[in-house]
Amino acid sequence: MAHAEHYVTPKKTLIQVFLALVTLTAITIVAARTELGVLNLPIALTIAFLKASLVVVIFMALKSDNRMHAVVFLVGAVFVVIFLVLTLFDTAYRGDLPNTVEGTIMEEQAEIDALRARDPGPRPTPPNE
Amino acid sequence: MAEASTVAADRPKHLHHHFVSSDQQFDAAKLGMWLFLVTEILLFSGMFVAYAVFRIWYPEVFSLSSELLDWRLGGLNTIVLLASSFTVAMGVHYAQTNERKKLVWALISTIFLAAVFLVVKYFEYTGKFAHGVFPGINFDPQGTAGGHDYAAYNIPFAAQFFSIYFVMTGIHGLHVLIGMGLFTWLTVRASRGHFSSEYYTPVEITGLYWHFVDIIWIFLFPLLYLI
Repeated sequence: MAHAEHYVTPKKTLIQVFLALVTLTAITIVAARTELGVLNLPIALTIAFLKASLVVVIFMALKSDNRMHAVVFLVGAVFVVIFLVLTLFDTAYRGDLPNTVEGTIMEEQAEIDALRARDPGPRPTPPNE
Repeated sequence: MAEASTVAADRPKHLHHHFVSSDQQFDAAKLGMWLFLVTEILLFSGMFVAYAVFRIWYPEVFSLSSELLDWRLGGLNTIVLLASSFTVAMGVHYAQTNERKKLVWALISTIFLAAVFLVVKYFEYTGKFAHGVFPGINFDPQGTAGGHDYAAYNIPFAAQFFSIYFVMTGIHGLHVLIGMGLFTWLTVRASRGHFSSEYYTPVEITGLYWHFVDIIWIFLFPLLYLI
């Protein structure tokens, strides 16, 4: 009685999901071993996400479960995306802007200090005076 | 005191005193497991981010180095782990339908499949170690195997690829090992008749953990073996 409302996933569904997962694995291996250029990675990731979704939704029964668990899971997933995207904003674009000067900031600062320290000589006359 | 024992008499044996009902206890355990799984996802995401950073920096190193990983063994392990996820899902089903014997068999099959996964992993690791493919500074590939001249793979940043490979699959393998321990414990309890449709929380939440381990491998396989 206490567990009357627990959803029991039918055996048939579980078998179908398992067969779908095996099929997707075969497809991802075939796709990866075919030279598709830039498409290889998106295809592999799409299939991986599809397989992971099948496992989460049916095997882990998120579909028929308390919505709270789906919320917890999705919040976790959102933080993974934030982690990945913000890190890649830094690392993936490093070196795209060439340095405008050779050498380090310390060397640059030392040069400026040296310029300031030298005898300035006579000041040029400002034009509007 | 007498009053307390009367109350206790009405309560099922599995129900802890601080829960109102079996349902509340079940929901609390399950929510706790999902929260734990989120921390696990974040643990692995750190390694996936490291993978993404290095792969974007050195894509050609990654695609060359992954040639040394055998997609047949990786694919076999993928099928093995998917099958074990299936047996766990069947186990939960049998617990819910009070089929004790089948539950025990589902759990034993899971332990067996997990062991197969680790044995395959053992052969993969020892095959790499035998040719000087170690994580970290000891990376020094040499010799030939499977038509590959290992020395040709000693290029800059190949060591980073293999460090990422060993750490990710190593921590994943540790999770498989822990899972085997948990399923052994569950098998003992299930064979003693501790679980029924009224109470199968440990089967359910260990199952969730196992599916999570499966999902990590679903991503590791294409990202490491099929570049």
